[in-house]
Amino acid sequence: MRRRRAWWKTGTGLVLTALMLFPVYWMVNVSFTRDQDMRRTPPNWFPVHGTLEGYRAVLDQQLPYLGTSLLVSLGTVALTLAIAAPAGYSLARLRPAGGGALSFLLLVAQMIPGIIMAMGFYAIYLTLGVLNTVGGLIVGDATIAVPFGVLVFHAFMSGIPAEITQAATVDGAGPVRAFWSVVLPVSRNATITVSLFAFLWAWSDFVFASTLDGGGRLRPITLGIYQYIGNNNQQWNAIMATAAVASVPAAALLVVAQRSIAAGVSAGAVKD
Amino acid sequence: MRSLATSRRAVGVTLAVLVAVTSAACSRSDNSPGGAAAGGTYTIWDPYPQFDNSSDWVKLLTTCGSQAGVSVKRTGYDTTDLTSKALLAAQQGNSPDVLIVDNPVVSTLAEAGVLATTEDTKLDTSAISPNLVAAGQVGGKTYGVPIGANTLALYYNKAVLAAAGVDPTAVTDWAALTAALAKVTATGKKGITFSAIGTEEGSFQFLPWFWGSGAQLSTLDSAGGVAALSLWTDWLAKKYAPNSVINNTQTTSWQEFATGQYAFAENGTWQLANAKKTGFEYGIIPIPAKEGGTAPAPTGGEFVTIPVQRQSDRYGTARKLVDCLTSSDNLLATDTTLSYIAPTEAVQAAQAAKNPELRVWIDAVKAAKGRTGDNLGTKYPKISEPLWKAVQSALSGSQSPQAALSSAQSAAAAATK
Amino acid sequence: MVRRRSRAPGYRAQQWAAWAFLLPLVAYLLAFYAYPLYRNLDLSLRDYTVRSFVRGGAPFTGLANYRRIVDDPTFVPALTHTVVFTLASLVFQFGFGLALAVFFHQHFRLSATLRALFLVPWLLPLIVSASTWSWMLNSEAGVVNTVVRAAGGDPVNWLTSPGWSLVSVTVANVWIGIPFNLVLLYSGLQGISPQLYEAAALDGAGGWQRFWRLTLPLLRPVSAITLLLGLVYTLKVLDVIWIMTRGGPADSSTTFATWSYQLGFGSLLPRFGPGAAVGNLLIVAALAFGLVYIRLQRRQQGAA
Repeated sequence: MRRRRAWWKTGTGLVLTALMLFPVYWMVNVSFTRDQDMRRTPPNWFPVHGTLEGYRAVLDQQLPYLGTSLLVSLGTVALTLAIAAPAGYSLARLRPAGGGALSFLLLVAQMIPGIIMAMGFYAIYLTLGVLNTVGGLIVGDATIAVPFGVLVFHAFMSGIPAEITQAATVDGAGPVRAFWSVVLPVSRNATITVSLFAFLWAWSDFVFASTLDGGGRLRPITLGIYQYIGNNNQQWNAIMATAAVASVPAAALLVVAQRSIAAGVSAGAVKD
Repeated sequence: MRSLATSRRAVGVTLAVLVAVTSAACSRSDNSPGGAAAGGTYTIWDPYPQFDNSSDWVKLLTTCGSQAGVSVKRTGYDTTDLTSKALLAAQQGNSPDVLIVDNPVVSTLAEAGVLATTEDTKLDTSAISPNLVAAGQVGGKTYGVPIGANTLALYYNKAVLAAAGVDPTAVTDWAALTAALAKVTATGKKGITFSAIGTEEGSFQFLPWFWGSGAQLSTLDSAGGVAALSLWTDWLAKKYAPNSVINNTQTTSWQEFATGQYAFAENGTWQLANAKKTGFEYGIIPIPAKEGGTAPAPTGGEFVTIPVQRQSDRYGTARKLVDCLTSSDNLLATDTTLSYIAPTEAVQAAQAAKNPELRVWIDAVKAAKGRTGDNLGTKYPKISEPLWKAVQSALSGSQSPQAALSSAQSAAAAATK
Repeated sequence: MVRRRSRAPGYRAQQWAAWAFLLPLVAYLLAFYAYPLYRNLDLSLRDYTVRSFVRGGAPFTGLANYRRIVDDPTFVPALTHTVVFTLASLVFQFGFGLALAVFFHQHFRLSATLRALFLVPWLLPLIVSASTWSWMLNSEAGVVNTVVRAAGGDPVNWLTSPGWSLVSVTVANVWIGIPFNLVLLYSGLQGISPQLYEAAALDGAGGWQRFWRLTLPLLRPVSAITLLLGLVYTLKVLDVIWIMTRGGPADSSTTFATWSYQLGFGSLLPRFGPGAAVGNLLIVAALAFGLVYIRLQRRQQGAA
């Protein structure tokens, strides 16, 4: 009985996933379509006269951009965690005066449209001389993820029962030790969630990349796509192929991360 | 003591991360150039991101640079981004040495004080056809040199027209064109495709019909304007043109034509290379005016400009770069790559000699009008936006052509006061 | 020595530690958020032409830009569309996200992999997802209309008719937002101890009752954050709408975010002042909701 129910659930899960991923399938479909079939009425469900020219273009030209994207995204994750985790811990456990106001400011910070942020950064970066550098882009991309990260860590760490940190303090640990050795390991779920978000946001960011790294030698994949968007002509199969190829490493990372979240369930650390 | 150590550690960690990442990146990427010393690096920005470092275009830039004795750092940007990037860079004193922009943008940048006049830079524009330089002239001063021109015409699918019994040479006015579309749709094929998207491209494609009815941009809701818009709305209502034109860019419209199911497509010179790849026989006729003759089409194409620099001694080398780019030999090569028509008579003749098909386009370009001409300058964007909005309103059925153009005219008049 | 310090003015030491942990964040906020925010305010309070944007010297005009946008005929449609778009997106994103989170929480075969696959839409650059939806919803060559025609219906102009354009961009936005909600709500579900469910089952509570009485209340903090963040992000949504419909036709899918972008960057002649003013109105709206959230949170903490 149980086994049948489980398979039914898997079946439903598969159907739901298929529905959700249909546009992604369509993207892959377009990536194999010839230019003259692009606007065919009715469209081909399957690329019958497929072409590999999109993928050929991507493999010839886009791989360095992929590497840069990876570097930028991982850097953004590192920077976001470095800023957000201590801040979340502070707001949740150490209760600074004015912490409420700071949380509020973080909300405001997230509301600023990306293009305004990027334009403001342009001036700062130009003065500091870090325009068109990967490091500069990392710092810029982190602005997308840091307020969110603080909120998540704050929420998560507030939920950790006081007994755990009290146990540590009784043992003589100061706030840093408590943070590093006790709270952070227990917050693995939150860490992975924030890392995931920071990675994905940095991976797919365009506005900051375009304004702050548009002229650099190392550019992320979102700018690489624009090679196929000329002023008068767009190569759609190459654009979709770029997206498809760019998704592969990120998707692999996703699967790994998700498994960690599932494994890191609060087994015994958080009791009711 | 411990709290101080804590804060120091926290700051230290953050700084370490930043420094490590930045230095790793800096060691591999170039820093942005400032106003460097002579014989140094000159920056060029262009709207051709489809050309990467291995392309002929970039090789040409590098060659021109070495001829001028400097090294060239080139960046390709998406053309819609380039205006705001140029403004932002100028604000921060980070303008490139040579800036290539789409022609309707030149007047905006000139008014913003971003570009240097040809008097300052000593650029020579005498050989260029006047109707093509007009887009780069504001207040009697010239701000750049066209790198090439393109314009619009009607491509047609020979097989589809033959099957419908339509003679393309007989399509000389609107009535004949609409009749042809009726015949084509009767055979089960589709009539015409164009781009009516809510951006400058939409206005660009609408202008030949607008001007072809005798209307002027100073009065959007004249009888001619309404007639032009009604032409398009009628086509959509009778299904001679697909509903997707409302969202079509010129590329998407071309892709519709390339399926082979359409008789006509309104598109430009730059599609010539793609036209050969379609796999069916095509022809070109000029866009007809309402009562016959060729409708004035708008000029497209980019201008090579020299932005204002803090150190005016950079103009000399920048001018050499521009001259190299727009010299007769290089123009021929560049315009062939871009599928543009050259802006000077001499090179046009060379193009026609090399490729007789271009004759039609050369004539079209000679008859073309600048969008910012007629002394409109920076008024043009304030008129163009209400115009494309009116086209969108009428085509999507929200307003009648008359009502749409009247509100567009009020908006344009208010904006250009 | 340490113990003495933490016992006597323990509060002071804790405050020092607290702000020390916050130092990187505060420095980051000041450096990277304060300046753009100031610039945006400045842009909206002065009369900027392209010339004064580049050269400086724009005159201070107070709230003139704000008055100008409120008087603009696009203001009311943009406001309505923003409200409708945001509400619909939030309801459906949250609803689907919660349903899927609960569904995947049941740990059947492949649930972890499928859950990971649900995040794939998020990997795609917005230009690609928005373009793909644009293609699928194309009036002529789109796959959606092909299915509609095959089912015997009349093709709908999803992106080009004023009636359907807002619906289409909302659907695409919901699709893009489901992964975000799924991850957060699933994370929240993980935080609920399974023993609570066992206890409830022992007490005779059915599945639905367990959901309403146990899951939802316990999820409240995570839900609140998810909804608030969802609101903030949805208010900012630009790329999806811009790529699919450009806010048209006839302003039928224009929201404040797209209007702000169009004013500043979407035409040949940028109007930075009004664009910044619209952007600031959005920030004010989000602020208002933020205040509501904080008040609710305080009330909850007070009640607890």
